[in-house]
Parts: sequence; structure tokens; C-alpha cells
Amino acid sequence: MGKLIEELKQDIQYQHGMNACLNCGICTAVCPAAEVYDYSPREVMNICHQEDEEALIELLKSDKIWYCGQCFSCTPRCPRGNSAARVILALRRLSIRYGYFAESEKGRQQLFAKRVFGENLLKRGLTLLATNITPQNFPELGEFWEYYFEHMKEMREWWGVPMDLENSPGSHRIIPEKDMEELRAIYKATGALELMEAIEKGMEKKLGSKEEVEKYWQTWLETGDSRNYQLKKEKEEDK
Amino acid sequence: MEKKQQVVVIGGGPAGLAAAGQLQSFGLDVVLIEKQAQVGGHLNKWYKVFPDFTPAEEIVAHLKSQLGNTRVLTNTTVTAISGEAPDFSITTSSGEQIPAAAILIATGYKHFDARLKEEYGYGIYDNCITSVELDAMLKENKIRTLQGKIPKKIALAHCVGSRDEKVNNNYCSRVCCTNAVKLAIEIKEQLPESEIYCLYMDIRVFGRTYEELYRTSQEEFGIQFIRGRLSEASEKPDGSLVLRFEDTLTARPMRLSVDLLILMVGMEANTELAEIARLPLGCDRFYATLHGQYANNHSHREGIFLAGTATGPKAIMESITDGRSAAAAILSFLMQKAKGMEVKVPTLV
Repeated sequence: MGKLIEELKQDIQYQHGMNACLNCGICTAVCPAAEVYDYSPREVMNICHQEDEEALIELLKSDKIWYCGQCFSCTPRCPRGNSAARVILALRRLSIRYGYFAESEKGRQQLFAKRVFGENLLKRGLTLLATNITPQNFPELGEFWEYYFEHMKEMREWWGVPMDLENSPGSHRIIPEKDMEELRAIYKATGALELMEAIEKGMEKKLGSKEEVEKYWQTWLETGDSRNYQLKKEKEEDK
Repeated sequence: MEKKQQVVVIGGGPAGLAAAGQLQSFGLDVVLIEKQAQVGGHLNKWYKVFPDFTPAEEIVAHLKSQLGNTRVLTNTTVTAISGEAPDFSITTSSGEQIPAAAILIATGYKHFDARLKEEYGYGIYDNCITSVELDAMLKENKIRTLQGKIPKKIALAHCVGSRDEKVNNNYCSRVCCTNAVKLAIEIKEQLPESEIYCLYMDIRVFGRTYEELYRTSQEEFGIQFIRGRLSEASEKPDGSLVLRFEDTLTARPMRLSVDLLILMVGMEANTELAEIARLPLGCDRFYATLHGQYANNHSHREGIFLAGTATGPKAIMESITDGRSAAAAILSFLMQKAKGMEVKVPTLV
């Protein structure tokens, strides 16, 4: 058995999420992601089930493991007690650890997950800050959001959920440093920090340099769509 | 045998009836105890029986005709079993004490309660019914939606309450696949204009000529078989249902609108006598047999025998055969007891 398969099978999420699959299709039928993307949780389970190293690597390099929205609709329905959503988590960790995530468009978006949610958590203990939702990148939120974005501090004072105040009510509070230390210790102990580093490294390897990673990042910040960054190979093909 | 010995058969379905008929033909006194007002068991509900469309009534009539001098007690249940083989005493709900040299438990099964699969909407949506209710409609030649319309599109969902860890039934109920094929043909005969879909995971048509029935349903009746288990159903304002499943052969999530959804409900153990008879159950909650290969009619207690779906899902024909097989095992047991011989039954527990 291949090394990656072995490693996958060591993952507790995989162990809990994967019993023998009946291929009945209940998970794919109920999956919201399968309705809109070329994605099928059953297919993912099937590929894992094969225990074929090459097929697994191909899966880890593909967009497929990134479509799942982690809604876990598949989990309460599976007649064999499988959880495709859980298996996906194990696959994502593996994909990041070995840098395969950077081979797919959806995988590369892990950089935003890391730099936005990941770093927010480490710095503030909060996943998403209102200040992250820039009207520039989220024009669909319209003029109300634009107004709120500009007057956030003032408006939150009115509502009694002030910005950046230690232990204040609301979703923008400052979490005491002592609690933050505990949180970071958890992230370190569970290996989440390592995965975050692996994302930066994997992107650097794929794009060629740290500068390119920053360019990729800037492209997203400016245009809200990472596809506007052209990979080297794509550039060459254009020529 | 020096004196006539009495055997008590509990349960008057196909297995119990067949066993009682066989036992009395051996010259034994037989008492058949039936909970319902009539013998016949689930057969009394069925229209026709696969694979050859024998009317269920005909099977009951035949089995009843074989009962000879069997004493039949209907509307009666067993409230206590005392003593040991071959001197059991059975107390019935009417207070009677019945001596028995051997006991046969043929108490059958219960249908899976389809309400437990909430995502299918049984008991919530108007036009989601069980295979049991469909048989009643077929019997009356009146397949209708709750709104009284003739359904044009009908789906049969296989494996409802079977092979499903979520309802704690990991086992296959065995008969539902063939029953679905049979029902699909019967619907098509009564409603030739209808389109019929079977949503299956594996087709398990295992018996003699069952595969032929399956093929006929496709070739002659145009029944559509879609390989994908029903994931969920939702109701539209007009009472029709939208089914969600994956066609796993083309790997596409699908939606299908139907006028009537039929749930092929599986079998669950009916072990009301487990405590009274002090019998252990298997992990599927049906009665445990002494050995899965060569002592399938023996329980874990000497002199108490098992037949029919009491020991797991069976087709009608299998239950009849199993009842007769139990009768032979009981006769063998009684003859050896009468000769004062040690009874040779497998003793691995």
C-alpha cells in the first residue's frame, strides 16, 4: 500500500468517516455542491476506497476535494454510517501537507483561507472580521454595506456592540491575550499552524517565488478573483 | 411412539400453518395458536405472491386444507411457558393450560415503520405509501393518489428500512426487490399508461425464476430501473412528489417528479415471545438459531423450535418449506425422546 494511503488511513477523520461504501448515491443526491459543481462525494469516497496511490494523488491535486461546503448533509443519510464531509477534511489536510493543493485552482484558494480566516484567528481569535468584507471585493452586498463599511465604528457604538474593545459584546471584540495564548497553543498542538505554513510554502513552490505569491494575493485583493492571476504555464500557452 | 404427543405451534402464518399441517400428518396432536382472528398471517393482506402471481388466498386455502385435526385457537396469545422439554406447559391469554412435548415458534415479522425514514415523508406527504398499502390498492384494482387521480408516474423505492445503519437494520430483507418487480408489473397491468421507476441499489432477485421475472418486467412491461437509492422526497402543492437520488451509473444527481411514491418496507423481527420463551436474539434482533448452517430450526432451548421469518426475512415459499423442515426436526426430537435416547442436536452454543 502506498505511503499516502497509509497516512490517510491514520487520520482519525478518515477512520470515522469511511466504512465500506455501498455506492448507493444518497450522499451525491443530497449534496448541494454536487448540484452546482462537477462534484460527487460518492466519487471521492470511491477513489479513496480503491486505495490506489496514483488515483489518490490525482484526487489531492484536483479541484474535487475543495468543492465540499462542509454542510455534512451526507453524514446523517449514509446507510453505512460514512461521512464524505469528514473524509474530505482528511484529504484536504493531506493535500496541503504535500503541496498538492497548489495544483488546482480551488486548492490555491487555500491561501485566502489561510491569510484571512487563519490569520484572523491567530491575531484576533475571530474567523471573520467585518473589515474583511470590503465593498470592492463584495460589490453584490450593495450600498447599504458600503455605508456600513464606512461608518462601522460609529454605527456599532449606537448598537452597543463596539469595535475592538476587550471582552465587549458583539463579533468584533478584543479577546484577552491570555485566552489568545491558549488558542494559539491549540492551533500549534493540533498541527493547524503547520498546515498554514505548508500553504505558504506550497504556493511559493507552485508559483516560483514569494513575490509571485504576493502578486497572486494582490490580484485577488484588487480584482476579487484569483483567476485573474496567470500561472506561468498559462502565460506560456498564451504566447 | 407409545402415546400421542402434543405439539404447540405459535403463529398461524405460512410457516406455522405448513408446520402444523405436516405435524398432524405425522400423527401428532397439534395446537395452533394465532393472535389474530384468522390464520394466514401477512398472506391475508397480500394480493398475489411472486414469482408466479399465485393469489395469496389460494396459498392460505391450501395450507388450511392441510390442517386436519389441528386444534386452532384464534384471537389467542401465549402468556407463559413453564417446564422443560418434553413437559412444557403453555398458558394462553384465555387462561388455558396446554401441555406440549415440543413448541414451535413461528411468530413471523413486523413491517419496518416507514415514518422513521423522515426524509421520504411517509405519514407527512399525501402520496407516499408503503408496499403494504399498494397491495391493498391492487387487490381492489384501484390505484389512486390521495386526491383520487390515476397516477401517471410511479416510483418504487427499494431498501426502505433495510441495509441501513441509520435505522439499525443492517440486514437485507431479501424479498422486497422481487416484490417490487412483481408490484411494478401488476401496476403496469392495471394502469398500462403509467411510467414506473424502481430506485434500487442492488437488485437481489435470488430465487428460482426470479431473474426471469426481473427480465420480463424490463422487456415486456418497460419498467425503468435506476441504480440509485432514494435520498429524499419533497411534496409539491399539487400533491405530487419530487424525488432526489443519484443515477449512479451515469454519475448524475437527479430529480424525478412522481404522482405516487411506494416505499418497499423491509421486515423487522417480531420477538414478542423472547422473554416468555427465554430465547436469545441475533444481532439483527430476529431469534437466534442454534447453528446458522445445520440447525436453523433449533432454538437455544431444547424442545423449542423456530420457523419462518421468526429467524429472519423469508419469501412465502421459503417460510412454508421452513415450517415443514421444522416439523421434521420436531418429529425427530420427539421420537428420540420417546425411545429414551439422548437427543442428538448440535450442542455448540
